[in-house]
Parts: sequence; structure tokens; C-alpha cells
Amino acid sequence: MLNRRSLLIAPPALLATPALGQSDQRPSITIAVQKIVNSNTLEVLREQSNVGERVFYSSLWEGLIGRNWMGNLESVPGLATEWRRIDDRTVELDLREGVRFHNGDVMTAEDVAFTFGRERMFGGEAGGNTPLFQQIPAAGRGGREPPPEVPAVARRIWPALERVEIVNPHRVRIVNRTPDVTLEGRLARYGSDIISRRGFSEAATWLDWARKPITTGPYKVAEFRPDVSLTLVAHDEYWGGRPPLRQIRFVEVPEVSSRINGLLSGEYHFACDIPPDQIQGIERNRTFEVQGGTILNHRLTVFDKNHPTLADARVRRALTHSIDRQAIVDSLWAGRTVVPKGLQWEYYGDMFHADWSVPRFDLAEARRLLREANYRGEPIPYRLLAGYYTNQNATAQVLVEMWRAAGLNVQIQTVENWAQIFDRSTPRAIRDWSNSAPFNDPVSSLVNQHGPRGQQQQVGEWTNEEFNRLSGELETSTDRARRRAVFRRMLEIAEREDPAFTVLHQNATFTAKRRDIRWKASPAFAMDFRPGNWGA
Amino acid sequence: MLRFTATRLLRAAITIVMVVTFAFVVLRLSGDPAQIIMGADAPPEAVDAFRTAWGLDEPIWVQYISYFGAIFSGDLGRSMRDGREAIVLVLERIPATLALTVPALVIKLALGIPAGILAALYRNSALDRAVMMFAVAGFTIPSFVLGLLLVLVFAVQLGWLPSGGQESWRHAILPVITLGIGGAAALARFTRSAMLEVLGQPYIRTASAKGVAWRRVVANHALPNAAIPTVTIIGFMFGSLIAGAVVVESVFSWPGVGRLLVTAVSNRDLAVVQCILLLVAMTMITANLVVDLLYGVLDPRLRGGARKAEA
Repeated sequence: MLNRRSLLIAPPALLATPALGQSDQRPSITIAVQKIVNSNTLEVLREQSNVGERVFYSSLWEGLIGRNWMGNLESVPGLATEWRRIDDRTVELDLREGVRFHNGDVMTAEDVAFTFGRERMFGGEAGGNTPLFQQIPAAGRGGREPPPEVPAVARRIWPALERVEIVNPHRVRIVNRTPDVTLEGRLARYGSDIISRRGFSEAATWLDWARKPITTGPYKVAEFRPDVSLTLVAHDEYWGGRPPLRQIRFVEVPEVSSRINGLLSGEYHFACDIPPDQIQGIERNRTFEVQGGTILNHRLTVFDKNHPTLADARVRRALTHSIDRQAIVDSLWAGRTVVPKGLQWEYYGDMFHADWSVPRFDLAEARRLLREANYRGEPIPYRLLAGYYTNQNATAQVLVEMWRAAGLNVQIQTVENWAQIFDRSTPRAIRDWSNSAPFNDPVSSLVNQHGPRGQQQQVGEWTNEEFNRLSGELETSTDRARRRAVFRRMLEIAEREDPAFTVLHQNATFTAKRRDIRWKASPAFAMDFRPGNWGA
Repeated sequence: MLRFTATRLLRAAITIVMVVTFAFVVLRLSGDPAQIIMGADAPPEAVDAFRTAWGLDEPIWVQYISYFGAIFSGDLGRSMRDGREAIVLVLERIPATLALTVPALVIKLALGIPAGILAALYRNSALDRAVMMFAVAGFTIPSFVLGLLLVLVFAVQLGWLPSGGQESWRHAILPVITLGIGGAAALARFTRSAMLEVLGQPYIRTASAKGVAWRRVVANHALPNAAIPTVTIIGFMFGSLIAGAVVVESVFSWPGVGRLLVTAVSNRDLAVVQCILLLVAMTMITANLVVDLLYGVLDPRLRGGARKAEA
């Protein structure tokens, strides 16, 4: 075990010359995280979470089109070196040669086609009820069938994928049923990563596969103890060069104070999920620093327009104008995050509207809207899943006071889980949420989360006829100028005219580490330990 | 004796059914496991697929009957998080928990009982006050506060011991001490009270007046009688061997049953929660049964035959 003393004696050992193995001189590191994965699997189609992103990218999973984790998350060549549009429905990709999976196999077009095939991604259509607790999720075909939520997630990622054509061993075509300008984005997103056909087929059960997937990343799974630890070891045949670390060990440490203590005592090299109010205390010791910052995730306040009071859009608009977002960022986040320009991110490229903004903080306007709406202080319930998001409780209390200043009577109702948040047996009005952008197009966020098939409409909180029509157009139109205009109009509807939600601030994540470890955090949950981001 | 045991076993069975029913109703009515396990950002169709696959869309009474039917056929169900058998998940974690709770129990007994006896025997002395001061402190400091204090001193400041994890026996030292101190303090207080009560009894005075050596009075007359309330507390401690370290396991990142229980409850992983509750209830009931039987050994008046004779 590395303790504080051994680390103090040998900080350079961590970077250049550690002798943790006789033949392999590369260092091994331990990273304390609050949660390794939520689903107890390492399969990207099952584990749909921020914490999963951290252990998956860029250590384990890779897609045909990659993301520049150390840049602005823009698309970059991954397991495909080049790609081009054949038509509105088809993207052709040239596969990188010499890519080896963790089992030593060379990646081929067959593996790519299998990755997007029914057996692995979309599963069988058969379903039906089984008695409570008695189902064996991977029971079909000798335990090889993925559990039912996997095809459901896959269909969300690829709602209209028709087929993958093998042009030759090093070239494939992704063919969609409908025109779609977001195909490249979908290829780059979480869940479209490539697997080894042989690795999948040789696993005794789906669960065995999902606990030790055979992929192409720079590190491979050595041991996974659910809820305890995940040990990755270097995949020395990695196409991107020899990995700089011999071993990465993620350990699950639920308590933040325990993660910080483990860092200070030298047991952990990194401590993740550090709350903003702990940063100053950690950095008071010059041996340590806290890295990280904004990620592709915005914190929202979401409205239910079926509530009698919120049915009037003017009340919802008053709610959006009563919030001093910058004050929240400055006081609760120590200024380490920002108020974004609505539900969009700069990596949308030409779809990003730089001149858009969240509703301005304007108490006079809020009061005017409430007068017009004839609001007389009727109570508005705010269901709060305390502690789910960073600073959530404090933010909720601040919001309630800000709303009170405008004359709004918002009352917090603390609940225990998401099912209680969505419960319709009593009136719902306000709740918290966050939205990500899995790929660089507004379809990935505004449409997927708030459109007709998005969660907010599926749980019956909000709908808007024009917005829904435009959602369809944004998904299928190939006219970029028209799409840009459509997106703008959708922002106007959902954030200003008939508010479905209001964006509070961009989310951020913070990682504490020894200052002398030369490593940079990416603008995401992902932790990059590839050559080039270690010791550089 | 047979009737006594049979009655106790029947009560135990009824208790277990009530515990499991209560847990089922509370957990099932306080949230939809599908939404909780799949998370806030899961596509609605994935949540629906999960709900259907696990039978969570059935009426709750159907789910209840289905669950109990399975239990009576020996199937405790599967974890909804990863599909593994709940009993396997729980049994995997028990050795880790016992690695903390058994040594902690030894510390509790080894420190708590002698300290309580000494405090009673030297009542109102400096020793008594010192023991009680430590006992009150150990009893009142929450285990998570004590655990963090120990980590700050022995891991962060001195660097002698690891702050968390389960890699070696050294990792167990701080959590065992944390668990042991609180229990020892409680036991010391109970032992002292029991001893003081017994030492004030007429038969102790009689024995002393007869000229029996004080050491023999304590050993032969005071300790066996003071043991009855103490044994009750020790019985509870045995009963909590399986799930008595929930907080400490979280503070020290120790992958035992306690942490599994916390994770399973927060995920509404019903089969795992109920499997743990069944084990805990059975352990507690067994411990109580043993305590009941020990009462008879320690105090002949409590034996069935004696009761009948008295009646």
C-alpha cells in the first residue's frame, strides 16, 4: 500500500520511475470515486450515467468517431480515420488499421457490423411479464440475451438505424432509414462504441460480458468487484501508443470526507466528486490541487404546466425572471462554473446560438407578469430529491427565497427518489433536473429530453404542439440553415414563451490530486489516461 | 422445554413474515424501483421495458404473492440491478462484515464487562468516574464522528494506518476500534448498573455477614445475578453481527453487508433488501432464543419446571 510517507519521499516515482513492478516500470494509480457505476455492469448500453463516463472514457471504450476529451469535445478520428457522407441517410467510414482488441484480435468491419447488430444491440423483440424478482435478465439463449433495457437504450440512440454495410474489410457504411444529419454525432456518442465479436460470443453470459467487455481502449478490465473496485491494466497493443500507466484502480468511497482523507494520507492519487465548498480546504495544503470545471451538463428547474397555477405561462415566466443565476454561481460554486446560453453548448458548432441567453434576472418583470396572471400567492409545490445534485439543497433554498422576493409562494416538498418526484397522485409543479448533450446537435438534448419522446413529455409535465412539430423537423431536416432557425424557435418556446424549464447554471465536476502529478482534467466526467495526458 | 422452544420458533416465524411484509410494503409504496434503478436520465422506454421485465407493472398484491410464493419454494429472488441471486450477493458480503463485527464484539466484551465490574466494585472512586467518563463519551459520540476522528489522527496525521478499504488486516483496525469502543462503552454502563443493583441485594449482605470472602461473594453471587441483564445486551450485539456496521462500513469504504443494504435500499433493490432483512431477523431471533435459554441456565427460577413448581 502507498502511504503518505512513501509518497512524500518519492513524488517523482509516481511520474517517471516508480518501481511497483519488477519488469514494468510504469506507475499504478488509485482513484477514489463516490460511485464506480450504477448498474454494476461496464456495458455502455446498460450503464447510462455520468459516473460510467468517467471509468469508460477514454480508458475502456472507443467509437468509430472519437471526441477530443482534452479539447472542446469536438469530433475527432477514432477507430475510423476518415468518414464521408454518401447521401442523407448514409455515412461511409474508413476503419483504422492495426487496431487490436483486448483479446488480441484485430478489429475488422465484421466487428463493427456486429456491434450495431441485433444480437448485441437491439436484442429480440420478445418480451412480456415475468413474476417479480424471478426474471433472469440474461436468460434468453443460455443467458446471452441482453436485458430488456439495453435494446430500449439502443433504440433511443439509433431510432432509425437500417443496417451496417461492409464495403470491404476496412470500410463500412452506416445506413439510416430516414434522412439524418446527426449520424456522425450519434457515431461519436456514448453507446456507439465498438466491441469484439469474438469477445462477446465467447462470454458465458451477457452479464459476464458486461462485467468484462472486450474493447479497444488503452486499458482493459483486470478485475471488477461491483460496488467496491474496478481494476484496469494497460493494453500494450493499444493503437494509440503504449499506455503510460501500468494499472488504474477505481475504488468506491461513498463519503466525501473519506475520499479527501484518503487523498491526504496518500492512499489515493485522485479523489473525485469533490464538492465546491471543499476545494479551498484541500488547496490550503500546497501539496494538492483541485482540477476540473464545467461539463456538458446543465442544471435545470423543470415546470409542470398541468399544475393549476403554472398552467398560465406568465407564472412560469415570472419564475424564470426571478432567479439571479450569477449569484448562485458565485456563492455556491465559488465562481467555478458559468451561466450558459440556455440549453445549448458551444460544441454544437454552427447550431450554437451565441446571442441567445437565459431569461434575464428582472424582479420588476416577474412582478408585472404575476399581476397580469392575477396570481394571489397560491402555493406552488417544489419536489426536491435532496442531495442528488451538487449543491442541490442550498440551491433550492436560494431559489425559494428569490421567488419569494418576486411574490411567488413556492414550497419545498422533500422526497426520497425519482419515482416520488414523478408521482402524479398529488399536484406537481416544479422539480430539479439536469440535461446533457451526448452528441453535438440539439437533437441530443432539446429534442431527446423535451420533445415528444423525451422524458418531460413522457411523464406528462409539458407539451407544446408547435415545439413537437419542430422537433420532428429538427430530427429529419438536412437543410442546416433551416435547422438552425428551427432550433432557435424551439429555444424561444421552451425557455421563454411557454417555459418547459429554465437553465440555472452549467454543471461542474471537481477532482483533487497531488499537485506534482502532471495530468489535466477534461471538460467532462471522462478521465483521460492515454499517452499525452500523463507526465507531459 | 420442547414446548418452550416450539413457541419461540413460532413467534420467530411470525416475526420474520411481519418484517418481510413491512419491508415489502414500505419499499414498494415509496418508489418505483424501475425509475430509481434506471436513473433520472434513462429513456422512458427503457424504464418501461425494465418495469415489464421484472413484473413491476403488476398490481402490488400480485407482486407480494409472487414474492412470498418464491420464498416458500426457497427462492429469495434476484437483484434487479444486475440479475444475480440476492442470496449470493449477500453471502459474498457476510465475511467482510464479520471480519469487523466479530473482533469488535471481542473488544466490547473484553473492555466493557471488566470496566463495568470494576466501576461497580469501586463505586464513586476515581476509577469509577474515569470509567464512566470514557463510557459516556464512547456511548454518545456517533460512530461516524469517532471513525473520522480516528482517520484524521491515525491515517492523515500520523500515517500509521490506512483510512479506508479492505486490502489487508491493517485496513480493519480503525473500523474495528470504532465499532468496539461504542459497544464497550454501552456494555460497561449496563454491567455497572447491573452489578450495583445486585451488590445492594440482601443475599450479598448475608453472604458477606457469613464471612464469605469478598472475592467469592462477587464471583459466586454477584456476577451470575448481574449477568442476566448483561446477557440481554450481549444478545443484541450478537444479533447485530450481520448488519450492525452500516455507518462504519460507509465511512471506511468497507464492502460489507451494511454497505450493500444502503445501496440496495436506495435503489429499491427489493430482493436484496429483503434477503438481508431475513438474515438479520433470523440472526436476531436466534440470538434472542439463545438468550432466553441462557436465562434458564443463569437463573434456575426462570426454568420451566421451576415456574410450574412456583405456580
